[in-house]
Amino acid sequence: MLPDAQTVKSTLATGGAHDAEVAETTLGLVVRTQISVVIDALAALLAEGYESLVDFDGIDTGSSIELTYRLRSYSAGHEVFVKTTLPYDAEMASVWNLYPAALMPERETAELFGLTLSGHPNPKRLLTTEGVAPLLRKDQPIRTHEEVRRP
Amino acid sequence: MTDPRMDVTGVGLLGEGLHSPGEPPAGIRRAPEGVDGLTTEHLIINMGPQHPSTHGVLRMLVEVDGEEVIAAEASIGYLHRGIEKLAEHRRYDAVGTLMDRGDYVSGIHGELAFAMAAEKLMEVEVPRKAHWLRSLTSELNRLGSHLVWYGTFGLDTGAMGQFLYAMREREALLDILEAITGQRMMFNYVRPGGVLADLPVGVDTKIKAFTDTFDTYLEEYDQLLGGNEIFQHRVKGIGVIGREKALAFGLTGANLRAAGVDFDVRKQIPYAAYPELDFEVPLGSTGDAWDRYTVRMGEMRESARMIRQLMEGMPEGEHTAKMPKVIRPSEGEVYASVESSRGETGVHLVSDGTDKPYRMHYHGPSLYALQALEDVLPGHLLADVVMMIGSTDVMLGEIDR
Repeated sequence: MLPDAQTVKSTLATGGAHDAEVAETTLGLVVRTQISVVIDALAALLAEGYESLVDFDGIDTGSSIELTYRLRSYSAGHEVFVKTTLPYDAEMASVWNLYPAALMPERETAELFGLTLSGHPNPKRLLTTEGVAPLLRKDQPIRTHEEVRRP
Repeated sequence: MTDPRMDVTGVGLLGEGLHSPGEPPAGIRRAPEGVDGLTTEHLIINMGPQHPSTHGVLRMLVEVDGEEVIAAEASIGYLHRGIEKLAEHRRYDAVGTLMDRGDYVSGIHGELAFAMAAEKLMEVEVPRKAHWLRSLTSELNRLGSHLVWYGTFGLDTGAMGQFLYAMREREALLDILEAITGQRMMFNYVRPGGVLADLPVGVDTKIKAFTDTFDTYLEEYDQLLGGNEIFQHRVKGIGVIGREKALAFGLTGANLRAAGVDFDVRKQIPYAAYPELDFEVPLGSTGDAWDRYTVRMGEMRESARMIRQLMEGMPEGEHTAKMPKVIRPSEGEVYASVESSRGETGVHLVSDGTDKPYRMHYHGPSLYALQALEDVLPGHLLADVVMMIGSTDVMLGEIDR
């Protein structure tokens, strides 16, 4: 499932994401880009045949939010992870125009990590109701103070 | 035009020629904007969340014009338990219990995905016997899950009897799984490093008794439902999720294979004992509800075949690798995916070197199937909504997590 790192790098360069780092890790082939060019990088990969967004999620790294896009090309049998970071409470640009599969996962990630969605046709909350804190942030406890104090 | 009644509206008798739809837009059976200047109003119907046809606690908001769906929106979160957050506060050996409660009809697959991710982090060699036991329980669980789909799909299309037959077969499977794992549904059987226990004495006769009769029963069931002309009229050509749309919406599993994409994690990214097994991957062509039906029925046949192979060739040896009491993988990030009953279940696991995961993301394929449904439903009749939810086999446990 691993494509050639050099090919992916040249694909990204032609698409406008010049400073993207491509590396083979335990996760697979990982492309790291700046948040400003992530849409260009995804568009370049889509044009190259990575036609499906198989998974999308976020990670709270302790200093920022890291987004992971898992792309797959069924015709070539290749898979690429695209990673980018953005600060807390930032605005996340939707990629649903490129990958409609991102519609619901983006809503979920935005509400659970406290981000704002931009360019999304339906930027409502997905899983929780209004007023619920961004649950997957590391500073969110799983128990309230009352529950912790209970003997 | 001698009949005076003809002049009432100026266009002819009400009901005569008024409802001829003309050329419908692509994908839509009738024109959405009323009939010939009659002022009609769109109605928003709230389906669920407490309704048996929505397969759990799915709430669908359906905007209809008469009988025709104009727009559909899924409202979810009624089963959100925060599995991903809870996993960050559990030790590695305790996360399996959470994964069971994700896709609660095929729990083994969730457990297996997490166990494989943890093993990748630890670089553990799993014994061959454990691989075979994992495949065996996976296939038994897949059969059980597909039987639930078969029964409820029958109910959705109006065939009431199928549910009873499917539940009878599933009961036998749950008995077998209970004998192997100790639990009927929340197994907690697949652990990082291997499985909980070896096969108990006497379970092989139970499995043999099941597989001996199942093939004939399955043919009967296929003929009862799939051979029924009314059912065929109901599902053929309805709910088409073609290749382009399936890929764009990130579908996996049977829903993707029904559109003709030959991708099965068991073949393409082999895990457990699947490289050693002989099985086919059933494919559809157009991606309509009928194709999804035939692909899943084909998968049941293959599963039964694999269970027989697995029982015949079951190797001897240890059922688990030597694992420390407290698992502390080194720092790192991995992704493991398995072919579950509903598609590709994936676990994205990040470790910071402590005894608890730093981040665990649980990828449920049903979430992606659900958003494809939102796109496909407009243009269909209201009665087809229930049938299409059934045909994609969405599971709310893994959508909400």
